[in-house]
Amino acid sequence: MDNGMDNMLDMYLFETNSLLEQLDELLIEAEKAGDFTVDDVNEIFRIMHTVKGSSAMMEFSSLMQIAHHIEDLFFFIRENGLDSLDISHKSTLFDLMFRSTDMLRAEVSKVENNEPLSDNVDNLTQEINSFLKKISKDNTQKDAEAKSEKAPEQKKPEEPKKVSAPAVQAANLDEIRMDLAECPDDNAAFFLRLFFDEGCGMENLRAFMLISALKESGLEFNYYPSDIETNSQTCATIIEKGFFLTFESKNDAESAITQVSNLNNIRSYELIENVRVKNAAADEAQAPAATAPAVRESAAASAPAAASGHQTPNKQNLISVNLAKLDNLVAIVGEIVITESMVTSSPDIQNLKNMDNFLKATRQLRKLTDDLQDIVMSLRMVPVSGVFQKMNRIVRDMKQKLKKDVRLTIVGENTEVDKSIVDSIGDPIMHIVRNSMDHGIEETAEERIKAGKNPQGEIILSASHTTNEVIISIKDDGHGVDPAGVLAKAKKNGILTKPENEYTEKEILALLLAPGFSTNEVVTEYSGRGVGMDVVKKNVEAVGGTVTVTSELGKGMCTTLKIPLTMAIVDGMEIAVGKSVFTIPIANIRQSFKVKNEDVIYDTEGNEIIKCMNQFYPIIRIHTLYNINTEITNIEDGILVWVESGDKSYCLFVDDLLGEQQVVVKPLPVYLNSFNIKNSGICGCTILGDGNISIILDVLNLYAAAHNQY
Amino acid sequence: MSAENTQTTMSGSEATERYLTFRTDNLIFGVSTNYIIEIITNHAITTMPMMPNYVKGIINLRGQIVPIIDIRLRLGKSEIEYTNTTCVIVLNVDSVFIGIIVDAVEQVLDIDYSQISSVPANNREELVSGMISMPDNNVVLLMDCVTLVNNS
Repeated sequence: MDNGMDNMLDMYLFETNSLLEQLDELLIEAEKAGDFTVDDVNEIFRIMHTVKGSSAMMEFSSLMQIAHHIEDLFFFIRENGLDSLDISHKSTLFDLMFRSTDMLRAEVSKVENNEPLSDNVDNLTQEINSFLKKISKDNTQKDAEAKSEKAPEQKKPEEPKKVSAPAVQAANLDEIRMDLAECPDDNAAFFLRLFFDEGCGMENLRAFMLISALKESGLEFNYYPSDIETNSQTCATIIEKGFFLTFESKNDAESAITQVSNLNNIRSYELIENVRVKNAAADEAQAPAATAPAVRESAAASAPAAASGHQTPNKQNLISVNLAKLDNLVAIVGEIVITESMVTSSPDIQNLKNMDNFLKATRQLRKLTDDLQDIVMSLRMVPVSGVFQKMNRIVRDMKQKLKKDVRLTIVGENTEVDKSIVDSIGDPIMHIVRNSMDHGIEETAEERIKAGKNPQGEIILSASHTTNEVIISIKDDGHGVDPAGVLAKAKKNGILTKPENEYTEKEILALLLAPGFSTNEVVTEYSGRGVGMDVVKKNVEAVGGTVTVTSELGKGMCTTLKIPLTMAIVDGMEIAVGKSVFTIPIANIRQSFKVKNEDVIYDTEGNEIIKCMNQFYPIIRIHTLYNINTEITNIEDGILVWVESGDKSYCLFVDDLLGEQQVVVKPLPVYLNSFNIKNSGICGCTILGDGNISIILDVLNLYAAAHNQY
Repeated sequence: MSAENTQTTMSGSEATERYLTFRTDNLIFGVSTNYIIEIITNHAITTMPMMPNYVKGIINLRGQIVPIIDIRLRLGKSEIEYTNTTCVIVLNVDSVFIGIIVDAVEQVLDIDYSQISSVPANNREELVSGMISMPDNNVVLLMDCVTLVNNS
């Protein structure tokens, strides 16, 4: 039972949070446009209604009350049309709505953290009410209407459920016809009669949500009672007689049934053909009716949150899964892939002959494990849009507080990244956006005009994929970073580690990410405590990523987060150097070849150079770079691997090629990140079939590492 | 081992914690058992290039990659040949995994918090958070695992 309650709470939190997020997005969009559309109003009404309903069910009264008052407010707006609001009303309304959603969020997070909810939300509700009064004062008549609407609605939960609906199987077709007598479209060929779960409450609104869901999917139908949306008395009728949908064609009716059967709180449904074809209908009516109890069972068990399914029939194909379970699945599948290659490349079978069947079976197995791996990987992928959309809100709030005109441009929000990455980049991105808003963009529009820029500032938030990383950049067109200022500030804060004049520009920018650094003299509400950027760095490094800052004085700055895909499969070439095994991603390899001593050219410092295809490329010996003992030091004994990445192209000298293999990339242990391991040309490691570890080389950084050493 | 163990348990108040003691370069260290995952021996270590000398490399512990450091070298002592008592203690400190190579593990003790004395200021070692003298006149240095994993 406890467990069930927990599940319900989880569902409630999940649903309410996603609704609030939806609401936030909607408000931001609407505010950008400066107006609500009719759809917006309906949507807000719907969201608030759902929040109200489920909060009431969970007995979170503060949430319910706020939602209830907003619902009232939007009910009024919907009834009276948007024209009843003038500009000043609208801006107050936006403000009020943002504050209300904040309040709702705060309450929800209290629920999440198991804290007591505020028992008094009168401040906000009174404000909403007085706003409602204000906008309706020129139209007292309508106000009264809204009030009278409100009254029965409030009473509704206590409304007695007088009659329990009769069992469907026993339904008498004549009686149904009688019920239908009042129906405006009596000539429809099919009727669908629905009963909601006993005691689920607010039947009329549930029915209304049902029909709006069906309408969304493009079905044409009529329904009875027809005034469910406005007349809460219809509740009783629906409980007693059921809710009727009428369809002209059987196809429509059947597609409606498939949708209805997926919804929650439907106790039973029944398809009835009109009397004219009554006899033929009898059999068919029984068929769906028989399945009804099963539907009810599953619906009641799986989705306890009230009314959730009604508006989102297309989302019924989604289920929410505990991330921990998914993590376990990913880990196990990773092990399976490794074990599979352990089995197929086992030394015990190397000398066997006539293994055709075995090889065939292993090929099949490999294909299946690959597919399995792909699917599991894709399970965890979610678009970054969720995180990006939240920035809209931050920019909006700060814009008002700081009185700066800034627009946020989002690029590539559909880029999919691992769920764990999405979770860990939210805070860093928020910090950076806040920094850009606060310190990056010029204080006034005049300043910007003087610098020859568009008076409106711009922050560009973009995400993109490369083969093995996600690149997220946050770029602003503000005044950029003043290196001298940074240096002076760093000196004052005592975080310089060498004489000032030895700092390169790159190192100066890196100081921004150092702990205890803040260029702003004044600590503001949003940033300036000097914790921001080093927290960013820490969070990103925790998932194995890197942060780089570039800046051009007067033109703006750009912060780039590069985050590896936490688990990915790489086609790699295994190479041996001494006793160590390394993996070079095949994508980076152009060619591998043997050379003769006389082919090697030396530059003035004695560095080795090789000529391939009429171009000269440096040779990097891995054994000298990484200080590995090996017997193969003569360039004729080993092999050269010509690699390329970005704008770097060079040859690696290795002992031997071991063969091609698909490997599962494991991130390096967090502990090693503190030694700047990324800079030594290593981007991860992998476990080979025999259980040994192979180190995956990062071709681009390897070059830089070699360059720094020589 | 057991005699001392029971003795300390009986005399100890409720504020005790179990510590595993190990020996490295003739010093006895204690590390809280709350951090310890397991003790392993004879594991093949994959060397990581371009690391400080005390970072010995990484191992594959049932699919998990664990970095290994030599506590001797970490403390700035000289390196010795590994013997058959040498082993790796795998720790999980705030979900950071790390294995430490020690000369030999000794025993598990219940240590009373109230008996822990702080390290004299002028011999402060960054990795030692406290010290305690045992009934057999040995002094156990308590290892500060959090500093150990957060060093840079």
